[in-house]
Amino acid sequence: MLSTQNPAKKRLLRDFKKLQDDPPTGVCGTPESDNIMKWSAVIFGPQDTVWDGGIFKLTFDFSEDYPNKPPVVKFLSKMFHPNIYNDGSICLDILQSQWSPIYDVAAILTSIQSLLCDPNPNSPANGEAARLYEQNKREYNKRVRDIVELSWND
Amino acid sequence: MEEKKSNLIVTIKKWHTVSSWTWGAGDDNCGICQMPLDGCAPECQFPGDDCPIVWGKCGHKFHLVCINTWIQRNINEPTCPMCREPWEFRDD
Repeated sequence: MLSTQNPAKKRLLRDFKKLQDDPPTGVCGTPESDNIMKWSAVIFGPQDTVWDGGIFKLTFDFSEDYPNKPPVVKFLSKMFHPNIYNDGSICLDILQSQWSPIYDVAAILTSIQSLLCDPNPNSPANGEAARLYEQNKREYNKRVRDIVELSWND
Repeated sequence: MEEKKSNLIVTIKKWHTVSSWTWGAGDDNCGICQMPLDGCAPECQFPGDDCPIVWGKCGHKFHLVCINTWIQRNINEPTCPMCREPWEFRDD
């Protein structure tokens, strides 16, 4: 019976409906056709920023504890950002200690989107990106433009 | 001529009553499960007594089952999912 279905799956259906009815600008996400616990998403690089034109792919992995536990979110596209590890993992407080069960897929995607242009150099996940961001913006921007171009190929 | 007063006698054989209730939560959804507060959380089968809603001292409201699952994750220092204030049930 639907009403006693796994709460995580039911919540994810609501998330999907909300994302379709009221999509935030520059992001999209959809569950895998045969598994609503796994989603693919895309974040477009915000316009008029160095990230403009980028098409960055991510995966979401939800557990049965969602929304009481955050999903595991990873970039599939290669990234160059102070708070994104080489394996695509993201260092973002709301995906860890500051998680709240009121967040949904749309909120996570827009938070990650704003993290792109607004890194937090105090918790570096990519030391080189953090250093260049602080000390050599020109080189940093060039490296970001490189991965924007790379994002078109994968 | 004397006017005769007559009383109409009606016998009610049966009636149907309909009543409605709400929790007084307006049209809001529960922030945790995103279902209407006056509806029911995914864990519950029926709205109403099966799925009560509760208020915190901070003024935020959730389905009881939803907030319970959340505060059990951090039972020593539970926080409100909305405002991150320490969560305390409002006594009514």
